[in-house]
Amino acid sequence: MIPPVVEICNLTRHYPGGVEALRGVDMKIETGEFVALIGRSGSGKSTLLNIIGGLDSPSSGYVHINGIPLDYSNRSGLIALRRSRVGFVFQQFNLIPSLTAQENVEYPLFFNYRPPRERQEMAARLLTMVGLENRLSHYPGQLSGGEQQRVAIARALVADPPLVLADEPTGNLDSSTSEGIFSLLRQLNRERGVTLLVVTHERELGAYADRMIEMRDGRVIT
Amino acid sequence: MNRIIEFFQLAVRQVSRRRIRVILTVAGIAIGVAALVGTVALGDGIRTQAVEAIRTQSDLTLLEAIPGVEGNIVYLVTPTRVSAIEMLPGVKASAPMVLGTFTTRGQTYVQVVGIPSGSLGAVLNPSYLRGSAFSPGSTEVVLGAELGEKLQRFEGVRIGDPLVLLRRSYDARGRPVDEEITVIPVGIVGERGDEYDQALLMDLDLALSLGDGEEGFSAVLIRAEGPERVFQVAEGVKSLGLSPRGSFEQIEAVNRMMDMVVIFLGIFAGLSLIVGGLMIASTMITSVYERTREIGIAMAVGASEGDVMKMILAECAVLGGIGGVIGDLLGAAVAGLLNTLGGPFLASRFGDAFAGLLDTEIALVSWPLLFAGFGLAVGLSLLAGLYPAWNASRLNPVEAIRSGR
Repeated sequence: MIPPVVEICNLTRHYPGGVEALRGVDMKIETGEFVALIGRSGSGKSTLLNIIGGLDSPSSGYVHINGIPLDYSNRSGLIALRRSRVGFVFQQFNLIPSLTAQENVEYPLFFNYRPPRERQEMAARLLTMVGLENRLSHYPGQLSGGEQQRVAIARALVADPPLVLADEPTGNLDSSTSEGIFSLLRQLNRERGVTLLVVTHERELGAYADRMIEMRDGRVIT
Repeated sequence: MNRIIEFFQLAVRQVSRRRIRVILTVAGIAIGVAALVGTVALGDGIRTQAVEAIRTQSDLTLLEAIPGVEGNIVYLVTPTRVSAIEMLPGVKASAPMVLGTFTTRGQTYVQVVGIPSGSLGAVLNPSYLRGSAFSPGSTEVVLGAELGEKLQRFEGVRIGDPLVLLRRSYDARGRPVDEEITVIPVGIVGERGDEYDQALLMDLDLALSLGDGEEGFSAVLIRAEGPERVFQVAEGVKSLGLSPRGSFEQIEAVNRMMDMVVIFLGIFAGLSLIVGGLMIASTMITSVYERTREIGIAMAVGASEGDVMKMILAECAVLGGIGGVIGDLLGAAVAGLLNTLGGPFLASRFGDAFAGLLDTEIALVSWPLLFAGFGLAVGLSLLAGLYPAWNASRLNPVEAIRSGR
């Protein structure tokens, strides 16, 4: 039996000052699922995403990725996780302004010690897949918001991680562009079999997903 | 290796993004390097000039080993030490000698040097203005250039004529007694520019027979194999307890003085280099602050702490490297300016004595100096980058990405 991509047990996260971002979260995401995580701001969605991605660590509870528990005290283990097992897409796109679209997509491969030629080829292939084959040598400042987010999605996928975490990927985009991004995510999920956990506060975009998980006050309610 | 090159390529991209700030920072380092290169080049140039002057004007490979004193112990020139010197590495020839003081009838002071006739040529390498060397076991002598001229002019002494030398001693009642020795000058040595121009050279055995029974030799004359071996020979002489003398001491003195001058000036030049380093540190701290989010992103896509440190340090090395190259070029330009303008300036200011400066290099730029300047710039920049790099590597990726910078 294939273990779930993400399995979370009784996860809590307390911040200094008494803020309880997560108050006991249980969750299971199977391979190839497209899950939308919805909820108001402050409900703990981003914190949960950061913990799954190894950017933040929980106060208690467990996170298993592909059946293997994450050891948050093992820095190199977390770096390895971010290098090849999860990809991030952010609300702010978070591209490096001094690098071209292609170089931005190559960036994770650089830290994966892939040779330059292979990096360039893979980046070009991914940018073609997200429909930006004409924008390879454009800088982020020369791209529209939607295009920038497509570059960011290509970057999240380039190291071929089984799991992509997206934190409000359409939060800075208008509604038609947002739909474009979600249909792209849907398409990538179907074609590449990548598992997606996408945070959004727009329920109607959740319709693109296989399943919606709603959070409120640090807990999963559905 | 490829990996390092890639970090540098990335660093160049980052650096070329902030042109004005980079130019200012690099200028700081470059001025420091230029000042250092210029100072050391000037010092080296003057040093080389002085050493060259000593080399050409004196007989550099000739050394004298005289009795050495260490604490209360006097190391005399014994036959054992004479043969030990013969065996020292770098020694081409050596000969024991005795010194004596005499006067002529005309009250001309004469420094007598007794040296084995067989070694005279090998050690002193004299060229004869007139006549030739003395033969062993005879009373023949050879005059130094100045002494010869003096005796000829004021006392009418000529080659082949007997010359009477007087040595003053005192009898048992303290009255002066003059001993007379008759020698025959057979040659006059060409001018050498050292104390042998005033000397009267004779066979060692003759000189010893004239002595008043003192034990040992006055000194050992040594001919080194070449200028580069002189200091080695001097060290060897010291190891035997004797004290080396010669024109190499002038070179030592010049080197000591120029070391002091260069170090002293170098400290000031170094200060400006340190200011350059502080500028790098400041620039990089600002740069890390501004790029907090970028560093967070790099971490989110898989950069380790070491990767982040390497990224920042590579940028520092690029800044330092550019500064080092520009500084080297500036320093070489300053040295060139000194050579083309400084020589004529000094010559016009101080007159004919400095005319030699017109066509020589006052400042000497060497490859090792340029490499040192470059290396110092890069090294100092890396040092300056350690703190910002460390800071960057300790960033929390979540907070860094959220910082919005």
